[in-house]
Amino acid sequence: MQKNRHLIFFYFLLFTITAYTQEEGFTSQPTKRGEYSLVAYISGGAGYYISNRGVPHQFRSNISNRGRIGTVRVMWHPDHLLKVGLETGYLTFYTYSFEDSVRNSGNVRLSATPLLVEWTMAVTKRINLFAGSGVYFLKTHLDYAGKTSSTQVSVGWMAAASYIHPLSKDIGLGAEIKWMDAAETADGFISAQVQLIWKFIKW
Amino acid sequence: MKQLITIAYILLIVTSCRREFVAPVPNTDWDLFNSPTAVRLTRLTMNKMEGIYSFGAGADVFGDSTALKWSYTVSGNDTSYKLSMFCEKQAAYFILEGKRLDTSILLNGYWRKLVNTETGRVRLTINQVNGSNYLISPSPLNSNNKFAVTGTFSYGDAVPDRPVNIQYNRSLNRTTPFQIIAHRGGGRTADILPASENSIEILKLAPQLGSTGVEIDVRLTKDGIPILYHDARLNERLVQKSGLLGPIENYSYAQLNTIVRLKNGERIPTLRDALITIVVNTPLNLVWLDIKYHGSLQTVAALQAEFQQKANNMGRTLEIMIGIPDEEVQKNFLALPNSASIPSINELSPEKVIQTNSKVWAPRWTLGLQNEEVAAQQAQGRRAYVWTLDIPENIQQFILEGRFDGILSNYPSVVAYYHYAKK
Repeated sequence: MQKNRHLIFFYFLLFTITAYTQEEGFTSQPTKRGEYSLVAYISGGAGYYISNRGVPHQFRSNISNRGRIGTVRVMWHPDHLLKVGLETGYLTFYTYSFEDSVRNSGNVRLSATPLLVEWTMAVTKRINLFAGSGVYFLKTHLDYAGKTSSTQVSVGWMAAASYIHPLSKDIGLGAEIKWMDAAETADGFISAQVQLIWKFIKW
Repeated sequence: MKQLITIAYILLIVTSCRREFVAPVPNTDWDLFNSPTAVRLTRLTMNKMEGIYSFGAGADVFGDSTALKWSYTVSGNDTSYKLSMFCEKQAAYFILEGKRLDTSILLNGYWRKLVNTETGRVRLTINQVNGSNYLISPSPLNSNNKFAVTGTFSYGDAVPDRPVNIQYNRSLNRTTPFQIIAHRGGGRTADILPASENSIEILKLAPQLGSTGVEIDVRLTKDGIPILYHDARLNERLVQKSGLLGPIENYSYAQLNTIVRLKNGERIPTLRDALITIVVNTPLNLVWLDIKYHGSLQTVAALQAEFQQKANNMGRTLEIMIGIPDEEVQKNFLALPNSASIPSINELSPEKVIQTNSKVWAPRWTLGLQNEEVAAQQAQGRRAYVWTLDIPENIQQFILEGRFDGILSNYPSVVAYYHYAKK
């Protein structure tokens, strides 16, 4: 029964998307001169910590390189190809657990909140490239011999490519592959995200 | 055209990857040196070998002359002696072990240049033809005794096959007491030495690099344990990645000791462990505690007093001094009970040196030779050390024209060369 419900929901979603895309749908390419808008990209997904040497040698077998990522991006879409905006969010680079010599256990999680200025351009009607730079607010969560959290700011950058499928003139559903790199601390993360795109202000 | 652009992008990505620089200590196995009939050199032979030598073969790589000096480290009941050769060119040095095989003296080890990653193996011999009998005999050297060292060196782990030879010229300059003080316990991690800066291992290496004293950086952990660490934060320059970031004082010693490793895999040492090593395992005779935090100095002062007493009890010539790098540390130093009697090194003005009754005034080298100011300090019964001199030309100038009683450097081998070669 539960499986059938999922199937019904999937078909309903597919029907809705198909129905919406019959009309002129969302695109990141400029449509006419003098049209400006603000577009929000709300994304969530998972990623993989790809920078090597992330964990002390003695703990390397216990690392989990997979982390979650959620980001919000607001871009100004003017009437030309290049757009600019800001992105922030939250991601977990990696976690690991360990035991010391007397078998006391502990764990470490490294997370980050990026704040990046980004540029984007639609290379086709539905495919977009993003690149940006800024800072990552990194946070260590340590639970061993007491709980400790500690923060550090690192300069960094990102690059991404997305495919946006229009749902309506102002809304799209997309998928994005993104590389995020806190350069100063050499922490890199590749992620795949599902994305809701909403053109929320036009003038 | 598109293919060219693609290739250009690939090249850009490949060449923009971070390059790892390494200079591993070469394998120094030498069957002849390890033969069971090879025996340790006597102290007299070792003493007679010390001196200034001129290069014949090998001068193009190591410069025209070199200073040979023995040092030792103690491990339990065993004392191991190393012969260092401090060279004129490109901060090159050799670290060698010595043995006698019949009538020959064998020297085996490696060389390294600190200005790059060049390193390699060395095998040297002093045979009877080249004067080994003068060195082995119990008689002192006289000016007619000529001897030379011949052998081969290589790059990396290759079997040594390039000729090198040096000829004894004169004895080492020992006219005035002079401190060769190694920065960060012996040298910087960035110079890819075999041990990380501010580690126990670099303290043991420091005498082989030419140091007579060390400067070590002191910070406090969250639970108030004095440790050796230079930077304010845990960072990739000094430690292996661990996920622990931010100010080091955010973490307790237990957390750092279990999780964090320095670049070469060592633990961050406590000041106590470092002082035990210096007192027990090395011949170092000066410790400059560079205080890197703002807070009470009581724990550090207590350790200083404890280990000064230990060194005195062991008959060791050793001074442990608290460094005063800024006004805040000076305020905390003056807050200590009987601060005027605590040995200290003051980096501030000569007036501040009087306020803290410091034994040493330590100005930065960019202020120049300051011969008059140095002489004024010496007239008051104090010493003057200058920091941090790394450029060979500057080191040479400060040694030849200056009046300082010591130089702090990341390249103690260069200071050692110019000091011992001074005529």
